[in-house]
Amino acid sequence: MANRLILRRHHNCGNMTTKMHLLLRSASFLQQNLRQPGSPKCLLRATQMVRLCSTQAGKVHDTAPALPVAAAESDAPALLRPLTETVAPSAAAVRQVWVENMDSADERKLGLLELHPEVFAAFPKLHLIHDNVRWQRMYRQVDYAATKTRAEVRGGGRKPHPQKGGGRARAGSIRSPLWKGGGVSHGPRGPKTHFYMLSHSARVGGLCATLSVKLAQNDLHVVRDLELPSADPGLLQELVERRYWGPSVLFVDDTDEMPENLVRAADQVPHYNLLPVYGLNVFTMLKHDTLVLTVAAVERVQERLLRALSIHNSMAVKHTDASLLR
Amino acid sequence: MASRAGQEKALRLLRHLPRVALNNIDHPNPKPASRRKRGAHGGDTHGAGDKGSKARQHFARAGFEGGQTPFYIRIPREDPYKGHHLRREYPPVSLHQLQLMVDTDRVDAGRQIDLTQICNSGLFRLEPLRRQFGFQLTDEGMDEFVTPVNLEVQWASERVIAAVERAGGTITTAFYDMASLQAMVDPERFFKRGVPIPRRALPPQDAVGYYTDPSTRGYLADPEQVARHRLTLAQKYGYELPKVKEGPLTERKDPRQIFFGLEPGWLVNLTDKQVWRVKDPVMSEYFRS
Repeated sequence: MANRLILRRHHNCGNMTTKMHLLLRSASFLQQNLRQPGSPKCLLRATQMVRLCSTQAGKVHDTAPALPVAAAESDAPALLRPLTETVAPSAAAVRQVWVENMDSADERKLGLLELHPEVFAAFPKLHLIHDNVRWQRMYRQVDYAATKTRAEVRGGGRKPHPQKGGGRARAGSIRSPLWKGGGVSHGPRGPKTHFYMLSHSARVGGLCATLSVKLAQNDLHVVRDLELPSADPGLLQELVERRYWGPSVLFVDDTDEMPENLVRAADQVPHYNLLPVYGLNVFTMLKHDTLVLTVAAVERVQERLLRALSIHNSMAVKHTDASLLR
Repeated sequence: MASRAGQEKALRLLRHLPRVALNNIDHPNPKPASRRKRGAHGGDTHGAGDKGSKARQHFARAGFEGGQTPFYIRIPREDPYKGHHLRREYPPVSLHQLQLMVDTDRVDAGRQIDLTQICNSGLFRLEPLRRQFGFQLTDEGMDEFVTPVNLEVQWASERVIAAVERAGGTITTAFYDMASLQAMVDPERFFKRGVPIPRRALPPQDAVGYYTDPSTRGYLADPEQVARHRLTLAQKYGYELPKVKEGPLTERKDPRQIFFGLEPGWLVNLTDKQVWRVKDPVMSEYFRS
């Protein structure tokens, strides 16, 4: 009873960290009461329930097929790429995602792709996500506010009136901070940068946490490629809406040369954005509701992040980076 | 780092929470905003009080007590601290922590758990340059210690030895000199130096007694005496001494050996994945002695 009260009280609070901490403590309550999506104790909105049920992301732990399911598709390539032999995650932790099509508004599943749990099923460290977002905002911030001190304000070299005999307060300069028009004693001094570098591990951890959060919240989709049949933005919008992808979508490819149709279509819509893998960052991933990555982008991101995770850790399984040369 | 089960639980929870976005993440431990001393209540003396050297930013030297003999001069030096900077230290590892490490797979109970294994778990760090000569096993959690393990520590009390042997394991106390310690604590770093494995030195004079004593399971003690003491200890504390089979639980290092499977004098080449032995007869004789 107490657990349910906690949830109701904090249901609308915007703070994810608090919510996560509270719910982790009352996790047993959730396990009992949220397994049936239709139950009245469920806190999901109807649209969210539909979205979650339409994809199978949560169920793969129990019934994950080992081979590509869409064998009947004539144009479906064998998209199941086994993880490299240097990597050895536990089978239960490996994530599988559907590879979808972009060549029509109708959704077709073309195969399955395996994702490394260290990148796509890492613990959702919200503090790291926050640190990355803050860093991305602050490192380029420059405060241009600047004031002049009494020495810099024009004038004020001469003693305005004799020390004694005037009935006035003693003064040495008309630009003293006590005077109107005088200098500022402790004001902002010149352009000030807030540049700092977040540690390598924090940045890498933030990327892995964000990708994991996106996948866990059903906001990460993988497509075979980004080839659209036409440059019509209406077609792209219809595609996005039919699949219940969020209002804003970020398309990620492994190169910065994107297919022309997509470029033209997305150019017309401000909330559909294109990004190469090398530009992937926590802020942009959170700003867009849905992430759509190509298979090539997923592989590139995975190998780069696995290498980054192991590079300073002498205890980690080492990941080769031969393809970094390309 | 959370265990896999914990991570899965957290990710499952996220499915039912609102979308993580820029407007709902917060730092769990934010830095408090600094409060400047300005305005009606912060102004005037700005927190410095009235007059005095502190208000005028002309402080007395640290430790000065206004003329009274300061504490750091008044208190005499004590003999118990004489030579403390030369004493050997043994950072503690409790039996409770050890049991937890074995249960959570941070340490492999199928092999001998020695200094290197404990350091490799990542939970404990030994700094030989700070005169830390190894780990001592403390008795916290000795009532709940149940796993048969083959332990090698640098110091252990009688109760700890009894707790380990009651569970069906074996314990040895062994000494490592400074050079051996630096190899043990970070073997990968040591091998990258390209230096042959050193020969472990014998304990110093004040430690010889401890490491040759069977009652403390010293590595230089007579094994038959050690077996007798195992029995005596079981009788003293009133538990049945389990039979220890020959195997991983009884493997021991030679007194001059640092790593299992590697002898002193051998050179390990990590880049080419080779191990080079000593061919020179004089050197070979030295390393084998």
